Amino acid sequence: MFLNIRHLTGRSGISRIMFTSLIVLILSVLAISVTAQDDGGTLIVGLPSVETLDPALGTNDPEVLFNGQIYDRLIDVLPDGTLAPNLAQDWTISEDGLTYTFNLVEGVTFHDGSPFTAADVVFTFNRLVELESSAVGLLGEFTVEAIDDTTVQFVVPQINADFLYGIASRFASILKDGTTEPNVIAEGDAPYANFNGTGPFVLSDYSPGESAIFTANENYWIEGQPTLDAVEFLFIGDSQARVDALSSGVVDFIFKITSSELATLGGQDGIVITQQATNQHPLVRIRADEGALGEDPRILQAFRLTTNRQELLDVVQEGLGVVGNNNPLGPKYGDFYVDVSEDVYDPEAACALILEATGEERISSDFYVSLDFANYGDLGLALRDQWSQGCIDVEVIERDPGIYYGDGEWLEVDLGITGWGDRPVPSYFVEAFIEGAPFNETHFADEEVASLVAQANQTVDTATRRDLYTQIAEIFEERGPVIVPWFSSVVGAYSDNVEGLVMAPFPGSTDFRTVSVTTD
Amino acid sequence: MSTISNSVESSGTPRSFIVRWLQGAWSFFRQLAKQPLSLIGTLIVALFFLLAALGPFIAPYDFDEVIRDDTNSIVTREAPSLSHPFGTDRRGYDVFSRVIWGAREIITLPGIATAISVTLGAIIGMTIGYYGGWVDEVVSRALDSLLSIPALVLALVMLGIAGPTDIGIIAVVVLLYTPIVTRVIRSATLGVRSLGYVEAARLRGESTTYILFREILPSVLPALAVEAALRFSYAIFLTASLGFLGLGVQPPSPDWGRMVAEARGEFTRTPWTLWYPTLAIATLVIGVNLMADGLRRIFRYEGSTV
Repeated sequence: MFLNIRHLTGRSGISRIMFTSLIVLILSVLAISVTAQDDGGTLIVGLPSVETLDPALGTNDPEVLFNGQIYDRLIDVLPDGTLAPNLAQDWTISEDGLTYTFNLVEGVTFHDGSPFTAADVVFTFNRLVELESSAVGLLGEFTVEAIDDTTVQFVVPQINADFLYGIASRFASILKDGTTEPNVIAEGDAPYANFNGTGPFVLSDYSPGESAIFTANENYWIEGQPTLDAVEFLFIGDSQARVDALSSGVVDFIFKITSSELATLGGQDGIVITQQATNQHPLVRIRADEGALGEDPRILQAFRLTTNRQELLDVVQEGLGVVGNNNPLGPKYGDFYVDVSEDVYDPEAACALILEATGEERISSDFYVSLDFANYGDLGLALRDQWSQGCIDVEVIERDPGIYYGDGEWLEVDLGITGWGDRPVPSYFVEAFIEGAPFNETHFADEEVASLVAQANQTVDTATRRDLYTQIAEIFEERGPVIVPWFSSVVGAYSDNVEGLVMAPFPGSTDFRTVSVTTD
Repeated sequence: MSTISNSVESSGTPRSFIVRWLQGAWSFFRQLAKQPLSLIGTLIVALFFLLAALGPFIAPYDFDEVIRDDTNSIVTREAPSLSHPFGTDRRGYDVFSRVIWGAREIITLPGIATAISVTLGAIIGMTIGYYGGWVDEVVSRALDSLLSIPALVLALVMLGIAGPTDIGIIAVVVLLYTPIVTRVIRSATLGVRSLGYVEAARLRGESTTYILFREILPSVLPALAVEAALRFSYAIFLTASLGFLGLGVQPPSPDWGRMVAEARGEFTRTPWTLWYPTLAIATLVIGVNLMADGLRRIFRYEGSTV
């Protein structure tokens, strides 16, 4: 009302000129704004600093995310756990299940302009073996050779149901043949020459411990990707500071938010919370060998009867996940997840079982709690409270994970909580319950389970594998020495001006190729 | 000689001892009352001792009792109210009850450790101060080398190796504070060992034990009292710090330092879980310090600078 419209539309020539100029100005601003929205924009990610940058060795989210911008893999694992072609456009598996032949995408170039060929794949996978990368755990034994420039063949000595997940491993970023110092800053005019991949972004600036800027690879082999102009990493060590950075608009995306941090973000305008189911879980494990606490299956049953998993999920984990069961495979594994648990909470029945098994009214034990995650201490205390109602008294002993795992204590104690991380394949978890396995912390020795696990590892057919995992789950339900209170969700958050972002269950594997950021 | 023996006998009866002790205590409190801040400090310390003694009768809940409502759901993160004056924490524990129970924890461990440190420090300090010579040199240098190690670093190393147990915490405090007390008492002993009454006792042929405990100890008692109060204050702080760093006693023990550490990450959600244990630590440490300051003034003792 301070501006009278008649002044603008008046007959005076000056007024008309002013009015026309104003309209032109407004239209110009709108045009600029529309142009900006069409832009892919820059995605700023707040994350902890990277430590080990060699793609074959860097195991944590920041390192994998860093390498994911620069490099490609032959196959990608999608957020739902399925496999998708990438540099390998397709593949065939021989009838005997021992030979894998991959056809590579043609016309792909590295950032330095050199062509991508089968020789690069052979070099990359042989290097994984040389460096004893964790990828070898999934790949097992294999030989690899280039049939021609665009065809590569792997041969395995025995059927490995998880072999393709090994090819898609987060360590298996394809390097240029002959690379000697991947991801090492060089001296001279081209400091980032060793950061040479075929990936969607090119490293253009990197200050270790502070920031990294990746600009879009103009020659990327997928038409129209990446949609972003750039991705910027801001290395922020403190997790609460990362949350604050998102709240204040300094960064656009953060991941691995705790429930307490989530509470501070809850309901804030302009922030989108995202969750992904994972198989990460605290494993309450009871040693089951002769003379140990869980030798008698009735004692194992008593522990289960007096464990209220829903309450643990609601109170300790604040609902960020799903209720667990009595075996280490969660719903993340889709086809291979079988919920056979009856999940009954009956402390009185637990007391009766203890009396029947021991002749004593109550039993007691030390309870070792490794503080892998911030709320594991609370979980230990909540279990202590629940178990005390079921005639089981425990003394909680908290342990620093470095000491607990480093000194091998976790393989010896009768009763404890172990933190198990997420893995792309289920076999990793059940293999830990075979006699003689290096991580058999419960000393569980069940020949039937060992046989079923071996069969599952050598069976490619999904239906057959599901049947085998169902049998494994049923044995765990009957006499398995573990209780899983919950399977965690991983939580991330991003600004609502970010589009197309689907956080991976392993957040470091999140794909930014089709993400865009609109500017105001 | 008979007169002297009679005098010693009459002054050594239990009745006269109690009377003298009461007279001394009354005199002490009269002097303390002249210093309001010190009196307040002493009253604060007395209050916490009372809480430690009567805690289980005052606290409405056990320190590890999970509070549940009518539907058997755990009452977590409830703000201070009439039923829970200090609120509840994220695990459903009543914060008021834990703070009360925690008084016993924070006074018992540092109290025992301080008593041992002061006793050992007094004995070693008087002995090396009285004998002097190479005994003094060797023991003093050994204690100096212990004093050169930063307290918290030594504590972290010891508890890291031995594991956080009550005995471990007491051992750490004793190892850290005995040398300090020793040095102070040695210094006080040096000042009295050549005085006439000590010399007289020696010429009478009294045993070393008699001279140390009947002639020298009363003279160094003011220094010892002030030092004990100061060490107690530092021991409280050290124990709370170890609890904060996760090297204190194991959960769900109501250790104030641990309570502060656990509440730190929840400060924006449940600030009350941080307020009260923090306030309790601060109040007790200030109280002990004010009391120690009063003792120093009463005894006109300048104290150690260690």
